[in-house]
Amino acid sequence: MPRSTSRPAALAVPILLVAGLAACSSPATEPLADDAAPSAAQGVAEAAPALDARSEVTGFENVVVSTDWLAEHLDDDKVAVIEVSVDPGLYERGHVPGAVNVPWHTAFVDTVTRDVVPPERFTELAQEAGIDKDSTVVLYGDSNNWFAAWGAWVFTLYGHDDVRLVDGGRGAGESEGRELELAAPTPARGTFEAAQADPALRAFLPEVVEVATGDREATLVDIRGAAEFNGEIFAPEGVQELSIRAGHVPGAVNVPWVEAVDEDGKFKSVEELRALYAEAGVDGSAPIITYCRIGERASHTWFVLNKILGYDAKLYDGSWTEYGNAVGVPVTNPAGTVWGGV
Amino acid sequence: MSAPPAVGRTARAAAPHAPSAPSGPRPWTRADTVRTTLAAVVVVGLLVLAAWLHTSPWGPRGGVSLLVGTALGIAFERGRFCFWCIFREGIEDRNTRGAYPLLVALAVGATGYALVLGLFLPDPHAGRLPPEAHVGPVGWPLVLAGLVFGLGMALSGGCVSAHLYRLGQGHTRAVPALLGVLLGFGVGFATWNAIYLAGVSHAPTPWLPAWLGYGGALAVTLGVLALLAALLLRHAPPLRAREHAPMTLPKVRDAIVRWRWSAGVTGTVVGLAGVFAYLRVEPLGVTSQLGSASRTALAGTGLLPERLTGLDTLAGCATAVVQTLTENGWLVIGLVVASFAAALAGGRFRPTRLTARGASSALLGGVLLGWGAMTALGCTVGVLLSGISAFAVSGWVFAASCLAGVWAGIRLRVHRLT
Repeated sequence: MPRSTSRPAALAVPILLVAGLAACSSPATEPLADDAAPSAAQGVAEAAPALDARSEVTGFENVVVSTDWLAEHLDDDKVAVIEVSVDPGLYERGHVPGAVNVPWHTAFVDTVTRDVVPPERFTELAQEAGIDKDSTVVLYGDSNNWFAAWGAWVFTLYGHDDVRLVDGGRGAGESEGRELELAAPTPARGTFEAAQADPALRAFLPEVVEVATGDREATLVDIRGAAEFNGEIFAPEGVQELSIRAGHVPGAVNVPWVEAVDEDGKFKSVEELRALYAEAGVDGSAPIITYCRIGERASHTWFVLNKILGYDAKLYDGSWTEYGNAVGVPVTNPAGTVWGGV
Repeated sequence: MSAPPAVGRTARAAAPHAPSAPSGPRPWTRADTVRTTLAAVVVVGLLVLAAWLHTSPWGPRGGVSLLVGTALGIAFERGRFCFWCIFREGIEDRNTRGAYPLLVALAVGATGYALVLGLFLPDPHAGRLPPEAHVGPVGWPLVLAGLVFGLGMALSGGCVSAHLYRLGQGHTRAVPALLGVLLGFGVGFATWNAIYLAGVSHAPTPWLPAWLGYGGALAVTLGVLALLAALLLRHAPPLRAREHAPMTLPKVRDAIVRWRWSAGVTGTVVGLAGVFAYLRVEPLGVTSQLGSASRTALAGTGLLPERLTGLDTLAGCATAVVQTLTENGWLVIGLVVASFAAALAGGRFRPTRLTARGASSALLGGVLLGWGAMTALGCTVGVLLSGISAFAVSGWVFAASCLAGVWAGIRLRVHRLT
């Protein structure tokens, strides 16, 4: 079933109820209410309707490319390569020839409101990177594509379907001694226009609370490490504690993101991935919501479940730093660690 | 307490430096051959270590850092590239000779940085700063840090990089000075949060290319350096007459290991090392590993603030709690060991005797150096050299305040407390 697309959730609810989910496939044309600034985060106030998050383009061969494939397509005008790395300065000291740099901490997010980048700025970013509506967007980055996967989610959120990751990310090209380039390219301006953020791909707090309380059917996949999931620690070592409660969303299953990749950072085979998540009770038969601490690592697992396996999976980008600070929401904390306690 | 001038001269002589030209007839002896061979073995050892690092978990960044450190160690030792010596000779002896390697290094560095920055950040007007370049906030904390650092230079007899290379010459005062630097970093961490809120968080971060473009920034920087070079000529010592003799292998050997390197050679090596470091690893600096060591040692003792506000968002010689050697650690190792090799070959490795007074003044001076380097986010190499090369106004401000601190130190005669 194709994903229902592109309406601000708050406005879409009554219309969708009448029209039926599957029928609503045209892009949003109705203007927003006058007093509502265009924002990516429409629908914060109430839980979104049950939209299907399945992507149109799925399957390993359609969403993951090898370094060989990338090397063969460097001169292809229809392929736009983007690096999204966690470490600043990596791109500048050598990147895939022709790749455009996107700093994740300023370009993909709104730096004032906690939100993804607003649609107009995303359009600007994509056009500056030379991306057209029919471009194949290929992303890669350090740390096994963590933030490249976040970029892939934002591209999908804004209606670009042909988004792919380089298997193994930056590390794969480095270990193979692939050609790197220093100069930043200045691509010809592209024509891509961001659609309204697709509400089907993004979960907000009210929806997650509904899942936690059993009022909505979905499987929550917590991709953090076991110690965080069990509430023994508030954040991984060396990372600031940004939540004041430990534990996880009730009912969530714990499949750390790293289990989806081999030691070399490349994705496991489709069969292995399917088995890995099936073992945790995630087989695609129910809607899935992935989350982590700040929302970025969970997009790696979102990519596996939604784009590679074709499941109905969305991302809760508020993640534990929102949920673990929210007042009055149910929490499971097996370790019982108390914040501020000694 | 003042000492007779003779003591001052003696203290200065403790900084061994090579003769600047064929220094008379001292013949090359078997001992010279043995020492130079040993030095060559040490340098080859460093190169082999760099090759190993390339394939180790440190990777090419570790290997390149060690090589850059090696080049710096040799150039610092052979060219006597010592900020304290440059400033002191200029102020006290009215001899500006030492300034020329520094001016050349800055000119070469700025030219190289203009090329690299053009690759890293093609549009300097885009409102972004180049990644990791040492472009720092300019406010009263930077000025204060420069003054204190300059005072520390006078008291301890060198800046951080000079202590590192003079450690390689067997200068024992460098040991308490570097210990003092570690302590000073600790004090700097303890005072950082208050200083950050009072004077750093709202300070501007002026960067010349944002106004002038790369061409304009380079033109202005080279213009200022040329002007300084012209002004300082007044106090430059006379040139030695050129020797009209055939160039022979022994002469080349002497030029490399015995005679003091010229300003052009020393400055070019230092400037290029800075450009290579920025291109491949990070801007040149020598305090990041020292500061990190201090932060790591103090973490968990309860003596440090839990969080150093804003520190990790500022460009400079970053410190972190680390359990291992960083790339900067390899650079420092390369610097000290290569300086030792250069000193050994030239017969300038002479362990000095450490006095209680010399050790205490070096320790205290080191504390001032450490506090200044922490608060300024780097030292004469990180903030001054890498900053001015990267067209940061903070580099010039630090240079001026450091010079003022040195001047004050000399007026207070703290450099005689050895």
